Amino acid sequence: MKTLFVLLMCLAPPVLAQDWKLDAGKSQVQFVIKQMNVPTEGNFRRFIVHASFDPAKPEAGRFRVDVDTASADTGSAEGDDEVKRPAWFDSKAHPWAIFTAKSVRREADGRYTAFGDLDIKGQSRALAAPFTLTRQGNAWLAQGRFPLKRSTYGIGGGDWTDVVADDLEVRFNLLLLP
Amino acid sequence: MNQGYRWPLVGLHWLTLLLIVAAYVIGSLLEDMTLSPLKLKLFSWHKWVGMTVLFLLLPRLLLRWTERIDHAAGLLPWEARASAAVHGALYLLLLLAPLLGWLHSSASGFPVVWFGVLPLLDLVGKDKALAEIFKELHEGSVNLLVALVVLHAAAALYHQHVRHDGVLARMVPWLRSKS
Repeated sequence: MKTLFVLLMCLAPPVLAQDWKLDAGKSQVQFVIKQMNVPTEGNFRRFIVHASFDPAKPEAGRFRVDVDTASADTGSAEGDDEVKRPAWFDSKAHPWAIFTAKSVRREADGRYTAFGDLDIKGQSRALAAPFTLTRQGNAWLAQGRFPLKRSTYGIGGGDWTDVVADDLEVRFNLLLLP
Repeated sequence: MNQGYRWPLVGLHWLTLLLIVAAYVIGSLLEDMTLSPLKLKLFSWHKWVGMTVLFLLLPRLLLRWTERIDHAAGLLPWEARASAAVHGALYLLLLLAPLLGWLHSSASGFPVVWFGVLPLLDLVGKDKALAEIFKELHEGSVNLLVALVVLHAAAALYHQHVRHDGVLARMVPWLRSKS
């Protein structure tokens, strides 16, 4: 059955999908999380995007985002070091947080939802990430946000539980060049 | 003759002292602490206490301006001027020290949420260089405030134990019955 599926995929006419390159300087992967009930913003300095899609039909595209867990910018050098530790991202053992889209659904003009798996710290969980796709010259800007819980992936905990909120929001702005 | 300040002003005076001592002690501890949940908690308490000092300043000034005490009575002209200058500087620093701390927090990317409940205005955008400047100014203003508080207390004790003029009793109700 699987072989048949692969065979059909090979036989299918080549889609117009093209690979898009990330403009890292104009892209951000951010997170907003409450510390002592204070919303604070951070971001990741390094991430890699694999995007292959036809702008006319993004639902047939493939998307994958790899985030370097050791590259978190929490606003202070101490905080940056802290989140690499085993209690948080455990960056030595799990250097990458990876979202792989399995399917994309068109919601409206320029609005989509990517369904896939978010893999952090050895835990893989289903995730639906809504995003917009807007044209910027010959590039495309993918923008979206989704909520996460630290506890889902065992990030942080212990003494930090009553200081750093479980809920956070991930925001992404990815500028994709042809 | 008016024996002293009315109790709301006396209360605010001593409450402010208690709060700035607490904020100063916590702030000094924070200087040498490495990141931990406790440090984040203390940081929050430091900010909450400091903001409380700032918020108490306005009602305090209003009460102060309605007092009918002649502050120059029994003082030499230069003493009256020095007293007015130190009191003015104390009020100014009670405004500036918390305000600069608030600006430091804001520029560092941490808005202040008073007692974890009331989000205060995020005064400036996140800017590391600006945050450093506000940090220095905050520390400078706090050090000056502490120096003036010591001077202020020394002057009050001088009035009480050398001049025996009842100036300290204006702010210490239980001393009034003796005078």
